[in-house]
Amino acid sequence: MIWFIMIATGLFTFATRFIMLSNGISNRPPLWLVDALGFVPIAVLTAIIVPAILVDPADQTIALWDNPRLFAAALAIIAALVTRQMITTIGVGLVALWILQWAM
Amino acid sequence: MASQNLSAGSEFWAGVREEVPLIFGVAPFGLVFGVLGIESGLSPWQTILMSSILFGGASQIVFAQLWAAGVPALIVGGSVCVINLRHVLYSASIAAYLRHLPLRWRILLGYLLTDEAYAISIRRLQHEPPGPNQHFHLLGSGMLLWVSWQFATIFGVLVGGTIPDSWSLSFAIPLTFIAVVAPILKTRADLAAVITAGTIAIIGQPLPWNSWLIIAAIGGILAGWLVSRLNHQAGATS
Repeated sequence: MIWFIMIATGLFTFATRFIMLSNGISNRPPLWLVDALGFVPIAVLTAIIVPAILVDPADQTIALWDNPRLFAAALAIIAALVTRQMITTIGVGLVALWILQWAM
Repeated sequence: MASQNLSAGSEFWAGVREEVPLIFGVAPFGLVFGVLGIESGLSPWQTILMSSILFGGASQIVFAQLWAAGVPALIVGGSVCVINLRHVLYSASIAAYLRHLPLRWRILLGYLLTDEAYAISIRRLQHEPPGPNQHFHLLGSGMLLWVSWQFATIFGVLVGGTIPDSWSLSFAIPLTFIAVVAPILKTRADLAAVITAGTIAIIGQPLPWNSWLIIAAIGGILAGWLVSRLNHQAGATS
């Protein structure tokens, strides 16, 4: 089953990359669709980021205070905005989490 | 624009060279996916081959996480497909430069059309003089990315079991995505997409089958799109 889903989603993903290179579709997609697709990365990644920070992996409850991941993520956001470098952002966030987990 | 007749080799190596800085972000991401795939209960082969079959980092992470959570296959597939829809934009934007190529070239370059290869090679195609071998630039950037992604995944699969849980390496996933999202937030519509997607993702936690992910994603896309439409209209009438 997992192989079937993997290959099916793989073919779909290839289709999203190839569709406009196939000469079957000669028009650019309509503007409203281009606008909507432009929000896909932001919306999807935010939907992954926020629970990964706020939901406690141990007991699946939502944690605000007493949550080292929240503070580590806040520092990582600042690092991302200032440096715009992925490796620095990951480094700042992980080191902050280690220090906070050790201290809290 | 005057054309420039660079050789296939010099276009290819320019693509490789310009892609190098992005590998510093992609390599840790691939490593994290390799580790996470094994932790999620995928076999080493499933983890490694997913990096060739899907070849899209965010969608592979989501696939592994949802699969590990026992989510029905249809929801896993739907979530992966929504995440990868964005490639249609890259395909549309780069088509004019590749459409004249033979089919085998378009298939190969389509397969290699990732966020990172697109970002580098569209600059060459749009801003430098056209040349008969310009598609080799995308071949170079795409192949370096592909090779790096595969090696990073394999390395992650090999070392995964030896990394202690206390390192919280899975936290590198939201951090990776923060590094992608934070710098590209510019407009009020972007903020609307972020706030809507984040809120639904939290409120929707009790929903069955982790379906909050796909609902939050679609909600965020709609919110961003609506706000950008309203802004356009306000701009057009004033």
